[in-house]
Amino acid sequence: MCGIAGIVRRLPSGVSVESLGRMAASIQHRGPDGYGFFVGQRVGFAHVRLSIVDIDGGAQPLTNEDGQIIVNYNGEIYNHPELRRELEGKGHIFRTLCDTEILAHGYEEWGVNLLGKLNGQFAFAIYDRNRETVFVARDRFGVRPLFYAQSRGDFYFASEIKAILATGEVVASLDRRGLDEIFTFWAARPPRTPFAGIASLEPGTYGILKDGALWLRRYYELDYPEEAAEPEDVIEQLDEIMLRSVGMRLRADVPVGAYVSGGLDSSITASLAARGSPHALRSFSITFDDSRFDESESQREVAADIGSIHSVAAIDQGSVANSFPEVIWHAETPLVRTAAVPMYHLAKLTRDSGIKVVLTGEGADELFLGYDLFKEVSVRRFCLHRPTSLGRQRLFDRLYPELLGEGRGGEFWRRFFLGAGTPSDPLFSHLPRFLLGARAKDFYAPQFKSGLGEVDVLAELRGSLPVRFFGWSSLNQAAYLEMTTLLSPYLLSSQGDRMAMAHSVEGRFPFLDHRLFEFAAALPTGSRLRGLREKEVLRRWASRILPPRIRERRKQPYRAPDATSFFGPNAPAWVVDHLASDAVRRVGVFSPTAVAGLIRRCRAGLATGFRENQALVGVLSTQLWYDRFIEHPSSQTPLPVQGASVLITEPLPTFA
Amino acid sequence: MHTSRSEIIARVRDFLQENFLYMHTNFQLGDDDGLLDKGVIDSMGIVEVISFIEAEFGVQALEEEVSQQNFGSLSAIARFVAEKQSLVTA
Repeated sequence: MCGIAGIVRRLPSGVSVESLGRMAASIQHRGPDGYGFFVGQRVGFAHVRLSIVDIDGGAQPLTNEDGQIIVNYNGEIYNHPELRRELEGKGHIFRTLCDTEILAHGYEEWGVNLLGKLNGQFAFAIYDRNRETVFVARDRFGVRPLFYAQSRGDFYFASEIKAILATGEVVASLDRRGLDEIFTFWAARPPRTPFAGIASLEPGTYGILKDGALWLRRYYELDYPEEAAEPEDVIEQLDEIMLRSVGMRLRADVPVGAYVSGGLDSSITASLAARGSPHALRSFSITFDDSRFDESESQREVAADIGSIHSVAAIDQGSVANSFPEVIWHAETPLVRTAAVPMYHLAKLTRDSGIKVVLTGEGADELFLGYDLFKEVSVRRFCLHRPTSLGRQRLFDRLYPELLGEGRGGEFWRRFFLGAGTPSDPLFSHLPRFLLGARAKDFYAPQFKSGLGEVDVLAELRGSLPVRFFGWSSLNQAAYLEMTTLLSPYLLSSQGDRMAMAHSVEGRFPFLDHRLFEFAAALPTGSRLRGLREKEVLRRWASRILPPRIRERRKQPYRAPDATSFFGPNAPAWVVDHLASDAVRRVGVFSPTAVAGLIRRCRAGLATGFRENQALVGVLSTQLWYDRFIEHPSSQTPLPVQGASVLITEPLPTFA
Repeated sequence: MHTSRSEIIARVRDFLQENFLYMHTNFQLGDDDGLLDKGVIDSMGIVEVISFIEAEFGVQALEEEVSQQNFGSLSAIARFVAEKQSLVTA
């Protein structure tokens, strides 16, 4: 895993190695093992390397045989040995053992159709000097990031936005609509970001840049061709795909570890990793001093069952508050939850333990309908058929016992769920979450609100849905919304790539193998969610590898302490500074009066609801984000060209 | 102890203003406005409102009484508190 960045000029005016050096310096955390540059008249690439495959031979940027194709790549192509054999059979000569070279030869052989052959997580740019084009692409599900901006006909791209800003040629400013999406969906919806003029390449999409114009096209679409019945050999098929997916993701020239949350999904990936690993598996977990969030007992049980060498990152409120500014720097976005913070500490523990690569369970909840939200949508539909039936409404108590079982607001919650939209609304499944999330907007400053005008991000989302969406079952519609609004832009980014790469750790996600997605998407929804039993077929299959206690454990939503973290006796001083009325007024997103009321409530320990917790984290993160990226952007000292392990300049050498 | 309807409504309104409507300076809360429907409280907030009412007016709300009918609006709360207080007095 690595970091990439580059500049493409519309005219051949040259790209300075200093600019590329600044870009590389800003994302060196993604690749501390080396760096390299391609410096051309129209195109410049910078690459920082985290060496995992072909430690000695995999430096980048890399060229094909005649030097006309230059590759700048971040990611892993898991089926690279198979593709290599295929390309060698067609006469291509490889100089390295690294998966990067697949892109150079694969592009020569198949052009953009190369993308359909790749199984992996990647973002890359390929400069084709023959055609004078730059080809950029991102993996199917958006595991690896790629951002870009266009200014005065020039094009800038990078794994992280801070590298684009490091050029000094693109100035950071706030995108109101991007922020409004964050305070609805928890993340801006690609291509939008919270930065005006800076876009995120959508998952499953590629772009061709020629003469200053960018032409975008989607090469992979999520689809749910649901069958009426399970295939008879469903367990055998799932077994074959899971074993192959994990096996491919264990391919590395360094030891591969695993995250263990205590739930089913990471237990599966860790268990298979332990079986397939040539060394004793290292596993890593987060524990909380607050028992409401802690799952350490389950984690220890999993580690004992798979025989891993287990380590834990212990999180308390102090560690949430103290590292929040660094988390925002890496996430590059305001957040409404603190859940990224423990992931940041987990990655640090992993790296400090000498592990660069981890398998995790991300994606299983989306593929196999694991989240409570999927059950919630079924219960809401069921209740709305007979809205007066109290017996039906009691299903909410089973679904959310912590909210409804013992609490005193049960009827109010049930009313909320039943009042949040009708099944005819394509966003029906997600409206409770979106409406709860949007409560943070109550704290907007009036001028920020008026600046948004008539923007309705929910209407925009409805308008963006593909035609085939309306032919899917309601659960598959929900799964699609979950994949596109939360998994890629938030879970895989703010809680995933950014937190892991902050400490130079590569996450690998066996459940996000596209073969597994396509297998799961074709299953009847009843195979994935049967009544209120989630991930049904996955549990059936998991009986082959996990004991019943681990396999049947009820899912605990992953959460971390929010508002309380920032107001204890040891709260850091920056909290008060960033929440001061003049600071809030200067940023202009939130109302100083509203924020003052929020602080008063937080200090009194009264801010216990979703609205105030999300608002507090949202306000703090927005203030920090604005300060670091817009108000006080830091200048980068360029990585020196003398230290580069690769330096390719035009005119290019040719290889014999 | 009896508290008049208007006083119950005024004290609860002040409480809501102070704790749930502080971010909306121009919000006018009518006596019959739905607290949930108008976004005054979320479902978590109802617990805080009930705790306030119990302490402020010396009444107890049973689990089954925590309903839209008794706590859905200022008027509903005033009616509930008055009924509870009359039971205590009787």
